[in-house]
Amino acid sequence: MQTPLLERIDLLANLKELIVRTLRLEDVSPDEIVDSEPLFGEGLGLDSIDALELVVAIEREYQVEIPDAEVGRRAFASVSALRDFVLEKSSAQKASDAVG
Amino acid sequence: MFPRIEKFDFMRFKGRVALITGGIRGIGSAIGKRFLQEGAQVVVTYFQDQDQARKFQDELGGAKAQVHQADASDFDQMKALFDQILAQFGRLDILVNNAGIRRDNLVMFMSDAEWHDVLRVNLQGTFICSKLALKPMIAHRWGRMINIVSPSSIMGREGQANYAAAKGGVASFTRSLAREVGKIGITVNAVSPGVIETDMTRSLPAKTLSELKQSIPMGHFGQPEDVSGTVLFLASEEASYITGQVISVDGGLT
Repeated sequence: MQTPLLERIDLLANLKELIVRTLRLEDVSPDEIVDSEPLFGEGLGLDSIDALELVVAIEREYQVEIPDAEVGRRAFASVSALRDFVLEKSSAQKASDAVG
Repeated sequence: MFPRIEKFDFMRFKGRVALITGGIRGIGSAIGKRFLQEGAQVVVTYFQDQDQARKFQDELGGAKAQVHQADASDFDQMKALFDQILAQFGRLDILVNNAGIRRDNLVMFMSDAEWHDVLRVNLQGTFICSKLALKPMIAHRWGRMINIVSPSSIMGREGQANYAAAKGGVASFTRSLAREVGKIGITVNAVSPGVIETDMTRSLPAKTLSELKQSIPMGHFGQPEDVSGTVLFLASEEASYITGQVISVDGGLT
């Protein structure tokens, strides 16, 4: 069986690029974002309004939904957390599609 | 000398998709027609009057609007409609929260049902549709939400404590949501129509009508087109730096 697309691409790099592009972070380049650093508050210093835009961008790019603030806090803890969240949700999604 | 206007743009909304709740009569239908005239793809909802819905479609004379029966305060029904709009057009740019009901009564005699129905349709309906509109608007980093409120919410009116509370709630909701999404290019404003000549006002007793007229500095009632003009302005590029405001279109009443 073929490895799923999301596991083959460099998801971390893709997410960093998506964050910079979506939020038009002019003075940050994607490779400056540290994998384990918080995206919000300290770290990258994003705010809750930025989160709205990220939620919509992630949903469109990877077809995974962030339904509430609690899930959002977990998903946006860091870029690595976001990668794990996208992988976990998209494989769960595929499993339920296969069953359905 | 007056500045000479070089060019009028009469198709300000070409390529835009506009949803108007409660859009088949009175103010709502005037808003929908103006958006159609100016090039928008228009979707209107109505609650249950199918005869009026047909009449509205006839009045359009072949212009293309989608007319859907849906309860604007029912999340599942509105979610289904939003999904359909996004599947078909891929975007929603403009939302006019116009659907509303009145159940007038003095507070002393007001039933729980009269209170809750009015808050559900006017206030919760606005919340539900606005929430659903956010994702498509955020995705395009452009959006216009226009909520229809009422002078009752500004100056109060006897017999309308429920309606005034709901519309006052919508006005506060408008100001708060405007702060949440301003950075993303979405504006949220409210329009407060005064006494407008519609089926609703025409049914009032002559004495009430003449008393009402006397309370209006401009001395006459407004037309649905007075309101739609303001709504279209707020939805246009000219109003791109206006958000969180309640604009009264009431001949000076408030």
